[in-house]
Amino acid sequence: MSNKTHGASTDILLDIRGLKTYFHLDEGTVRAVDGVDFTVPRGTTIGIVGESGCGKSVTAFSILQLVEKPGRIEEGSIVLNTGGQNRVDIAALDHDSEELRQIRGKDIGMIFQEPMTSLSMMYTVGFQMTEAIRLHMDVEKDEARDRAIEMLQAVGIPRPEQRFDAYPFELSGGMRQRVMIAMALSCDPMLLIADEPTTALDVTTQAQILELMQQLQEEFGMAIMLITHDLGVVAEMCSEVVVMYLGEVVEQADVDTIFHNPQHPYTQALLESIPRLGHSHEGRLNPILGSVPDPYHRPSGCPFHPRCTQIITGRCETVHPDISRLDPRHTVRCLLHEESHG
Amino acid sequence: MIQYILHRVLLMIPTVFGISILCFGIIQLPPGDFLTFYVAELSAQGESVPEAQIAQLERQYGLGRPWYVQYFLWMKNIITKGDFGRSFTWNKPVSDLIWDRIAFTMLITLLTVVFVWIVALFIGKYAATHQYSLGDYIATFFGFIGLAVPNFLLALLLLYYSLKLFGLSPAGLFSPEYQDAPWSVGKWIDLLAHLWIPIVILGTAGTAGAIRILRANLLDELHKPYVITARAKGVPERTLIWRYPVRVALNPFISTVGWTLPELVSGSIIVSVVLNLPTTGPLLLGALLQQDMFLAGSFILLVSILTVIGTLISDVLLAWLDPRIRFS
Repeated sequence: MSNKTHGASTDILLDIRGLKTYFHLDEGTVRAVDGVDFTVPRGTTIGIVGESGCGKSVTAFSILQLVEKPGRIEEGSIVLNTGGQNRVDIAALDHDSEELRQIRGKDIGMIFQEPMTSLSMMYTVGFQMTEAIRLHMDVEKDEARDRAIEMLQAVGIPRPEQRFDAYPFELSGGMRQRVMIAMALSCDPMLLIADEPTTALDVTTQAQILELMQQLQEEFGMAIMLITHDLGVVAEMCSEVVVMYLGEVVEQADVDTIFHNPQHPYTQALLESIPRLGHSHEGRLNPILGSVPDPYHRPSGCPFHPRCTQIITGRCETVHPDISRLDPRHTVRCLLHEESHG
Repeated sequence: MIQYILHRVLLMIPTVFGISILCFGIIQLPPGDFLTFYVAELSAQGESVPEAQIAQLERQYGLGRPWYVQYFLWMKNIITKGDFGRSFTWNKPVSDLIWDRIAFTMLITLLTVVFVWIVALFIGKYAATHQYSLGDYIATFFGFIGLAVPNFLLALLLLYYSLKLFGLSPAGLFSPEYQDAPWSVGKWIDLLAHLWIPIVILGTAGTAGAIRILRANLLDELHKPYVITARAKGVPERTLIWRYPVRVALNPFISTVGWTLPELVSGSIIVSVVLNLPTTGPLLLGALLQQDMFLAGSFILLVSILTVIGTLISDVLLAWLDPRIRFS
């Protein structure tokens, strides 16, 4: 598959460094994203995986500054390279600035988990699509309409001229997600952030939507950041994978390395916990021990140590591991590797 | 849409008939009638009324007949001749007495609704988008005071203070020099100068309630995924709030017009008496006390019709506002 080869264009579209997004609640501070670094190469698909509550969605929302109060980006930079020397740190922009609004919807499009509620029921599909187009492109009303219909066609919606005037409640969940994708791509963004785009859809529709996203990537050439907890989807879609646990990136590598040579005990455990067809003779699944800790009481040292099967007693409880670079595009945050690689 | 409106208009006809029968029946319920009241009044003044005169009056007004015959004759005259009957107390045709007052009542009521909407919309939106801020607390504080203080008390306080502090009487809708003058630009300006007082007084409770409703609804909508979608598209925050969540939160706002109208009309009676407003309220109260049944009946009938029309308007507005209603 062409989108799995990232060698063709290796320059970096999005560079996230030391991102921290905290939620300040009455019960205490939840460090939802706690020092995340990763990069998104131009034109590739990167998967962000992890259990519920690992901070993958908050990371995605932080990129467009969509985190709502009491959440806040505390530290870090999100540098978008829109081409050549054009670099902008999104994290440093004011949340209602013209500059940020120009990035939202234009350079970066986003689709969400809940297609049933992500579109307003009060306006037609056409209104909501042309709104985005006219915000970012200098076009007249009928040109925007043509563009919207063209996009509806591109995402495989039958009779797009009629759907243009339909209200979202007249469409099925899969159709609504297609409209969301059409809307997100209507201004030709460089990055599409897809926050669990298929979780709320039934299995056959899931496959169609994923296939559509791959096909559109070949057509439009945008990078995709796919947030999911479904490793099957990752294997299908992504060229690179970021594994998150409790607000930290624990491992990042290309998809083959993640699936065939995972180095972090958490990644290994995640892979062992997925059911596989034809492997039933191996017996029971291996779930990860315990569950995600209470966000107000983060474990000391390595946050994964209470559930880790390869714990180095006396070290993992106290020492917070740094990132070790195993090879140029494979990093892992684990003492096992810090020890061996120094 | 047109079919929907036609359907609703046709439904209004039996509703109005039902209401009119009920009103007429209720007005007839107390023992005695206008003549008993009239004779008692005259005897109290030491005058006696000859039996023959009573019988003659009874015949003249058709009071001796059963109530349904009276109702039938009354309705027949309204429909065929636009004749609402005669007021006993005023000794004038009812239609001479009511139209002015209905017009003023409608004017005050409509302006009050508009006042309530506009004020509540802006304050409610502010309170929701600035939840738990000082402004929100102030709006809530005055909202509850407005809700808790009876309108007539507010009217009395206003009268008292404007007389005491400024030597002005804000009562009535016109200054004395314009009271009986023909309509002119000056009279209009004078009307507008007086009109805001009853509107503010009548509107406080409604505004307070509407602010609470809008705030609560908007708080529910503000964090819905479709709002985040719009934000992710790059829609400016101000446009976004008005265009998306406020539009949804307006829904219950509009649907309450149906019962805001009668509430304002009936709730304004005491305020109208206190402020000496030429609305239907004071006249209706008098007519009911004196068993002036055609006058009272006509008022109630017309106010009911207006209420039914108001409900229709609110339903049509709602269908226009919310495509989900339009399409189901």
